[in-house]
Amino acid sequence: MKEISVELPVEPPVEVKSLFLPVPPGLMEESYKKDELVIFVGPQHGGSGHMRIIVRLKGDVITEAIPDPGYVHRGMEKLAENRLYLQNIPLLERPAIMDCANFNLGYVRAIEKALDIEVPERAEYIRTILAELCRIGTHLYDAGILSVFLGHTTGFMWPFAMREMICEALMRVSGARITASYIVPGGVRRDVGRDVLEYIKEVTFFIERKTKDFEKIFIMNPVTAARLKDVATISKKDAIKYGLVGPFLRACGVEYDTRAVEPYGAYDQLSWDVVVADEGDSYARFLVRVNEIAQSISIIRQAVSILRSMPEGNVISPDIAGKKKKAKKKEEEGEEEEVKGPSDVRGKLYRYYGRLTLPPGEYTTVTEAARGTVLYTIVSDGQSTVPYRLRVVTPGWLYLKGFMESLKGCRLADLQAVYGSFGYFPPEADR
Amino acid sequence: MNDPNIKNIKFLHSGLLSPVKKWGAKWSLWAVHLVTSCCGVELAHTYASGYDAERWGTLNFGMMRQTNLIIVEGTISKKMAKALRMTWEQMPDPKFVIVMGACGLEGGLFWNSYHIVKPSEIVPVDYFVPGCPPTPEGLMRGILALQKKIESGEAKATAKYQPVRLEEVLEIKEVKERKPPKSPVKIAEKPEIKIEPRDVEWEFGKSFVDELNQKLAGAGEAFITDVNRVYIRTTKERFLEVAEKLSEDFDHVKSVNVIDVIHEDKFIVEYTVSSYSSKELMPVLVTISAEIPRSNPRFPSVIDIWPSADYQEREMYDFFGVWFENNPAMGEKFLIAPEVETPLRKDFKIPQPNYVLGGESE
Ligand code: SF4
Repeated sequence: MKEISVELPVEPPVEVKSLFLPVPPGLMEESYKKDELVIFVGPQHGGSGHMRIIVRLKGDVITEAIPDPGYVHRGMEKLAENRLYLQNIPLLERPAIMDCANFNLGYVRAIEKALDIEVPERAEYIRTILAELCRIGTHLYDAGILSVFLGHTTGFMWPFAMREMICEALMRVSGARITASYIVPGGVRRDVGRDVLEYIKEVTFFIERKTKDFEKIFIMNPVTAARLKDVATISKKDAIKYGLVGPFLRACGVEYDTRAVEPYGAYDQLSWDVVVADEGDSYARFLVRVNEIAQSISIIRQAVSILRSMPEGNVISPDIAGKKKKAKKKEEEGEEEEVKGPSDVRGKLYRYYGRLTLPPGEYTTVTEAARGTVLYTIVSDGQSTVPYRLRVVTPGWLYLKGFMESLKGCRLADLQAVYGSFGYFPPEADR
Repeated sequence: MNDPNIKNIKFLHSGLLSPVKKWGAKWSLWAVHLVTSCCGVELAHTYASGYDAERWGTLNFGMMRQTNLIIVEGTISKKMAKALRMTWEQMPDPKFVIVMGACGLEGGLFWNSYHIVKPSEIVPVDYFVPGCPPTPEGLMRGILALQKKIESGEAKATAKYQPVRLEEVLEIKEVKERKPPKSPVKIAEKPEIKIEPRDVEWEFGKSFVDELNQKLAGAGEAFITDVNRVYIRTTKERFLEVAEKLSEDFDHVKSVNVIDVIHEDKFIVEYTVSSYSSKELMPVLVTISAEIPRSNPRFPSVIDIWPSADYQEREMYDFFGVWFENNPAMGEKFLIAPEVETPLRKDFKIPQPNYVLGGESE
């Protein structure tokens, strides 16, 4: 059918101005002329996670999606410039609290890099376990939210029941259900006992079994597949161009996982696979994460069995605890002794970290959080007890561009499904 | 007083059938989906199978027109405040508000942020549930307290604390005069920001940097700052040239960063780029940097070369007021509320903690 364009004087509705709606100048006029609709989705909408997407529609096909983020922007970068390095640990896990370990890990590694300290092996394994637990937890969380978006309430209940077990594990390890703040520069806050390790192992079996049931109920459900397959497909080329991250990048066929590319923690000592898919559609994005759960489970089991054969204690680097200096003195006096770090920071937190200063320079780390790369850059001036500048780039912020591009050509009814398939979590993206 | 509407409302509130109405309201507290922040995680747990808040007739629901309860899940940002108010205004009466989390009370972790407001200044609040995040049990207690309030018509705190005098508990005989502790936060007056080459063991890097320097042919100076980290210093004028040359190998931008060096009156603009297509270069992060004067913060945009830098450039415009020429969205606030101006510049001050002993702070 041929389209005929007519020049009509058009005037956008007054609400666009009076409600301070953030539309780019000229967008309304242009869409009116082209016989397109402009629809505002959010910030209050039926799903979870609140941002506004301004969509331009031709019929019911999206021609352009413009994001309006920042509804949960809390100015973390500024706050971090005014707080001690230690105080920033709980602050910087707040972007995505269900993924606390990975977010802490990135920041803490940047500090360790600056101070040039080695982390005891036991602490590395504990960190890895925690990071993987959080990864499973986040993937389950996103699966639950995706089902809410698709209107599948049962699919919401199942993963959240599984998450309860992970919360319990985190509680036994760190004392908090969700916000662990457990990883500190030089190690972890305190040692993990045998019974807790046993419990974590049991949790992995539980999740493995329940994921199978969940597969029948939601993952392989024909309705789920029909809603997600071939929706919002991103080609490999576009994925690279728009800088997608994490599982969403891997779903487009790019084998990039920071854990494998630039290994940290204990990842290079355990065997696991990078999960990749080629389709690049919403279903692939979901399935990649489901398969990652299986990988994480295997990582946790390996790490638990290694930890079991390791002597307990020594989870904080002796450098931090100031033991190295003492040892050196002794060495000069002729007594040689293996230095061991403490197994707990209780009561000594401030003494160890209160006046921590980093040598001047810029330190950047990339970490694979559940939803993708999280990048921390610390700029230190060498004199202050606070960072001079701290840059946090979260996965949500990195894949937002790709997310918006992928919406082009989808139907409006699919918008929620795509939203859910990306697991977009505004606090994480906005920081 | 003779308005029939008011009469009807009065009848509803205290008439013959009012107990029925109260009973109905009590068991159908439907909360609107307004996930404002990270406390939403615990809210989801409350309504999921683990804690099953549906037992008390409360259920999350999508549209505000069909709900009567807002559970504010943590921080309300300046941008969200408008949305919160609009949502509240669109809900039918009677409506209730529960605020979850320390952030909603007094700001919590974010108390001195430039971008948050207190929910109690925007909507009338029935109950606060403190915690960061509050446990599901805590939130349920808030809901139960609200039910009691609906029934009895008066709000009561669910916990009472005895005032404790530390001196008595610790059996301190005489109290010496104490001074408030000094703040451990030390911020250097004239900090030096220097990013310098470092000697590290990284074979591949050495040859890579040599090659890079040849390729750049004087447009910039590349050096190693750490294993897998390369830093290129260049100027604003030659920046695009360097970017063009690098874009052959490096295909996306990981971070755009601006450092405000106020006492030297300059901004340092940094782009951190990396590669997805070449296996060898995957772990390498290259940071390209250039300095611009604070008085004229303009910089060439790279979105034609790397489209992935788009949103981050706009973010930096919000934070520092650096104008990226060629980026079509400049001049519009993207991430932060329009009323906040360049918050991340060093001369934008936020409140600092005040260390006190016992009593009130001034
Ligand atoms: S109270 Fe804590 S968990 Fe809740 S929104 Fe604030 S920071 Fe997040």
